[in-house]
Amino acid sequence: MQTTPDAYVFLVLLPAALFALLGGWAGWKPHSPARRFGSWIMVAGWVNLLAALTGAAITVGQGTQLSLTLGPVLWGFSARLDALSALVWLMIALLTVVILRYSRTYLDGDPRQTTFLGRMGLTIACVQTLVLAGNLGLLFAAWVGTSLSLHRLLVFYPERRAARLAAWKKFVAARLGDLCLFGAVVCLGSHFGTGDLETIFQAFRQGGEGVASFSFLGVTGLLLALAAMLKSAQFPFHGWLVEVMETPTPVSALLHAGILNAGPFLVVRLSPILHEAVGGSALLVLVGGFTGWLASAALLSQPSVKVALGYSSAAHMGFMLMVAGLGVYPAVMLHLVAHSFYKAHAFLSSGSVVDAAKSKGIPLPARRGNIPRVAASLGIALLVYAIFAWAWGVNPLDHPSLLAVGAILVLGIGQIIAPTLDSVGPRTATAMACLMAMGVAIAFFSLEAGAHALLHGILPHSTTPPPPILLLALLVVLTYLGAVVTQMLLPVLSRNPRLYAWSVHLRNGLYANAMLDRLAGSLRRHHASTHFS
Amino acid sequence: MTTELLDAPMKTIPGQAVDLRTELRAVCARIAPVWPLESFVAVNPYFGMSDLGFGSVASRLEKVAGARTTLATREYLALIARGEITPDDIQKALHRVGEEGVTAAMFLDRVRALEGLPPFSPRVPTLGETAADVTGSDWARLADDRIATWAGSYFDQGQALWPAAATDAGPYASWKREACIDRTPEVMGLAGVRKAAAALPENPLTAADNALKSLGLGSVERELYLHALLMRLGGWSALASQRQWNAGLAGGEDDTLLELLCIRLAWEHLLFQCVKHPALKERWAERRLTLLRLSLDTLPSESLRDRLLLQDAYDLSEQRRLRAFFPSSCIPSAPDAPARPVTQAVFCIDVRSEIFRRHLEAVAPGMETIGFAGFFGFPIALQPLGHEKAHPQCPVFFQPAHTIHEGLGDPALDSKATRRRRWKGHVQRAWTSFKMGAISCFSFVGPIGLAYLPKLFTDAFGLTRPVSRPDHDGLDKSWVQLLAPQAGGDHGLSVPERVALAKGALTAMSLTGNFAPLVLLVGHGSSTVNNPHAAGLDCGACGGRSGDANARVAVEVLNDPAVRQALQDDGINIPSDTLFLAGRHDTTTDRMDIYNLDRIPSTHMAALETLQRQLGQAGRLARAERARRLGIDADTNTDRAVLARSRDWAQVRPEWGLAGCSAFVAAPRTCTAGMNLDGRSFLHSYDWQQDKDFAVLELILTAPVVVASWISLQYYASTVDNQLFGSGNKTLHNVIGRIGVVEGNGGDLRVGLPWQSLHDGQRLQHPPHRLNVILQAPREAVERILEQHEIVRNLFDNGWCFLHLLDERGALAESYIGSGRWDSVA
Repeated sequence: MQTTPDAYVFLVLLPAALFALLGGWAGWKPHSPARRFGSWIMVAGWVNLLAALTGAAITVGQGTQLSLTLGPVLWGFSARLDALSALVWLMIALLTVVILRYSRTYLDGDPRQTTFLGRMGLTIACVQTLVLAGNLGLLFAAWVGTSLSLHRLLVFYPERRAARLAAWKKFVAARLGDLCLFGAVVCLGSHFGTGDLETIFQAFRQGGEGVASFSFLGVTGLLLALAAMLKSAQFPFHGWLVEVMETPTPVSALLHAGILNAGPFLVVRLSPILHEAVGGSALLVLVGGFTGWLASAALLSQPSVKVALGYSSAAHMGFMLMVAGLGVYPAVMLHLVAHSFYKAHAFLSSGSVVDAAKSKGIPLPARRGNIPRVAASLGIALLVYAIFAWAWGVNPLDHPSLLAVGAILVLGIGQIIAPTLDSVGPRTATAMACLMAMGVAIAFFSLEAGAHALLHGILPHSTTPPPPILLLALLVVLTYLGAVVTQMLLPVLSRNPRLYAWSVHLRNGLYANAMLDRLAGSLRRHHASTHFS
Repeated sequence: MTTELLDAPMKTIPGQAVDLRTELRAVCARIAPVWPLESFVAVNPYFGMSDLGFGSVASRLEKVAGARTTLATREYLALIARGEITPDDIQKALHRVGEEGVTAAMFLDRVRALEGLPPFSPRVPTLGETAADVTGSDWARLADDRIATWAGSYFDQGQALWPAAATDAGPYASWKREACIDRTPEVMGLAGVRKAAAALPENPLTAADNALKSLGLGSVERELYLHALLMRLGGWSALASQRQWNAGLAGGEDDTLLELLCIRLAWEHLLFQCVKHPALKERWAERRLTLLRLSLDTLPSESLRDRLLLQDAYDLSEQRRLRAFFPSSCIPSAPDAPARPVTQAVFCIDVRSEIFRRHLEAVAPGMETIGFAGFFGFPIALQPLGHEKAHPQCPVFFQPAHTIHEGLGDPALDSKATRRRRWKGHVQRAWTSFKMGAISCFSFVGPIGLAYLPKLFTDAFGLTRPVSRPDHDGLDKSWVQLLAPQAGGDHGLSVPERVALAKGALTAMSLTGNFAPLVLLVGHGSSTVNNPHAAGLDCGACGGRSGDANARVAVEVLNDPAVRQALQDDGINIPSDTLFLAGRHDTTTDRMDIYNLDRIPSTHMAALETLQRQLGQAGRLARAERARRLGIDADTNTDRAVLARSRDWAQVRPEWGLAGCSAFVAAPRTCTAGMNLDGRSFLHSYDWQQDKDFAVLELILTAPVVVASWISLQYYASTVDNQLFGSGNKTLHNVIGRIGVVEGNGGDLRVGLPWQSLHDGQRLQHPPHRLNVILQAPREAVERILEQHEIVRNLFDNGWCFLHLLDERGALAESYIGSGRWDSVA
């Protein structure tokens, strides 16, 4: 692993600079022809993808690459290319090509298309810099810049009241997050006397006096966890996320697949620090686990496709933060990348759900709602998990964190089996469901192993978490078990009045958003109505 | 038929609620229906008001919803500046409304002087808005939002895995249940709503009655007030109204919309009780007077009167343009036996057929093209293979007469394919519950999410579709080839049914003799990807579906020797060497497919090959013509560019649909042959000399003309008020309940057309004109039909459409100016 800083590593920031330049151009000349500007930004997109591929190849071949630091050591300017940043850069570059291409066609004819593409460019530039930053100062600046440039996209149609309201709520949450991150950066910088990530990571890797004397470690961990939670729309600040469909679909794709990840990314990027900070990790497990439960349950009752996707993203962010709190960082990154591709596709293709309506006339076997069959589904899922864990030589009992992640997998694949086993349908379908469950398990173990191999060199190793976190993890897993079993029994429970009441509460996201709406004065009338004579 | 539907007898229930029910239903009848996205047909959004004049509806909609029913004055002035509307048009329009003393110049001076002033358009007040005014908090919007949230769940057709509304109860009961639980109003600062909701009566009419009494509304002012309440949730109301439409076709009744009105009234009552403000009662009393005054004053405002006149002038300018097309060029059909055409091709009357027909006639000598409603007179419902329900494939005014099953032509294979399809659906459901389920979605994304990376790219480059085609979903590739509507077999049509259908169809098409060796029936459909409004581009005459199923059934019937034998008794002699063929015109790509090519007898192969070549040529020419309007650069490969649009998941303008439609012509094709009508005219073939007792003319006026008027008025209304009667910006669309779209994250369901379907970013692609119906038929016959059919008469008497007659030489000779009066066009 070579870690001698070299100036050439600054080249990784060049594509981001190109996007920023184009973004600036569009801001300066908003009336330049959109078709031509679109071609330019597509070129930038492809160049970026090439650069990201090259960066990934270099990382694989030669390990972590660090640039020199320009400016003061605390707030200076430096880039860092390692397995983590290369992976996320490549992911963003791939998404960017697809999303920009989509936007060129989708907004064709919009008189402000150049402005739109320019703001997309700026946002991409910021988020990419955030990923590639090698220094706390640059990381913080890019963190704030991402949020500010995104804000301009969220209010792309400023005449939409709902867009302004959601963006305002997002703005407030983001500024609180900025404060938290700023606090954490100040704590770290003042203790270690540098903003250079590598120096700080080294200190944590070596442990000893340098870390032991860091009296603000707990505070820093909490601040980092809070910053991540505020960035990634965790309860009770999830409301804005499910409301920002007030802006064109490609923005949602970029936001949900690219920018929202900044929370989990921050946590993994600074995992050497968080790994030592129990309070921050515990907070992540608690809030992430709760948001994962709330948002994924709320998603079930959403009738509109984009709002459902919004809840889904909040849930996935919660899940990732929880897993990060448990210290299984490679699993977080696998989930982050996979979720991004999935969610970008889901948003960009959200107009296709009407096709699904056309297939609804096919009669399907009735569900039984039979408790032994539901239990058997979970039993089969557990068996499938155990077999493959054994085949991969993993003993989850050695790693309580992995056990928790594994339990959630079991609950998931049980959901493939239950709708067939617990129905009057043919047994061949149940067999098929079991095969699919095995396929998912195989994919799970091989991809987790792959993510581990890719990232274990630069991320803290998974250790047995301290008891408070284990206790929280147990609580989360039990809650999740309850949610899954309830769901499996919905066919018989759906007329239960208490459950019905919960469906209403959950659809409204437990009213947290309504509370923020009230604080934001969403019902306030700015101008007295002049319609009446 | 539709008038009967509205005048259906009311169910009587005992007690005082009878009158109220009738009253509320009358208001509900003002709301035009909207169809779910999967069969998104064009609807005239003014339909429930077509018994009133265009002007009074404009005035009324302005009061109850702030609706715009014309362009803005500034837009008309721009049209005048560009010379599209001439002073002459204005003068004529002034003359029509009896403003004899006013010259066009004087009128325009006044319009220009008033243009900059803020328009004075008083709105019908509601209690919610009054409460909002006195408190400064928009409680009316809260009420609308809460109802819209409930409605999204209540009307959901399978999007939510766990529907949060009691769908087994009636709308009012379901809403009331939710209102007793939902804490949102309290959280937002309105205390006591749940308690007040719990105290509401169980019967929706009683709740409505209580609300009206407590608000102190008398019978005079109620109508506008109730109409205004419904218009606040215009989209959900329209969806509820569609349930009434369906029930009405089956001879029943449906109270969904009535109950929705009761819900909105109940909310007014809740607000009256829960908004505690000392000034509310007093302010409401003032507003009631405003309401009363608005109810009594039915005249349009001055600004609206001017704009209506400008719209008249704008329509006159379009008629001037049309008149130039009909300069007595018609070659009267030769009295002696005409030559036998080489091929006949029957197309849908849809304006998009006009382009293809024109090019086909140009490249195919001896080709006769015919225009007829694209369901070819076969009002069927089609039940896809393995499905449990059939969907109508006919105009929405008709109840389908026959259910045709889709199959593979072999019962054993059918049941095998059915089993396979259901099995796959069953497994698919399990996978979906894993993918979308709470908690399980985490286990889905980690292992499976990466598979979306290649899909992102193949979808982005048009190599794959985001989801598989629903009509082929769950079927093997080899089966898809065989898939066809089965007119024969167990569920097929009996011989007498076939004969009746064939006779009706051929007569209505004016195709009862001189059959060509090849007669091609061309159904049409579109091909787009990831487009919620895809069905809006399909055949309206087939209920928002592709028309190929109808064409295929019709062809099977018309090729049936037993049917041909029986038709001879009715004087329809189809020569034995005549072969009917079914085809599908893809309106997005202008590709033409012909079905069952393997069953063509060798005697017709040569003719068929020629025909296919000609169809290919015509398609290329049509594409080239349409490419210009789509803004495709002239130096690119237009064929490839047009095809790429049909596969692009980001494409918001795959084709222009019926944008620009402005005329409906029912006359022999000889009257329009050779004219470039720009894809803006519905062309219905009609020869009145063959039409004994004018039954065909009656059919044309009561069905295709009404459909065309719905399409025209949908485009019109979506253009002049996209907020209220259009569906807004496509890039913000969010499909709700799989049945409709909302713009952004919620709110009212959107009806009508997206702005991108009307406007190309530079200019309107649909100039908002009212439809010009042009007939070649004797005036007396037309008048008799108008007398008999109120719904048709209303269209022309009330200014929703214009009616013109062609003389025997094909010149536009007379225009109907209402109330039985005609104006000769000299």
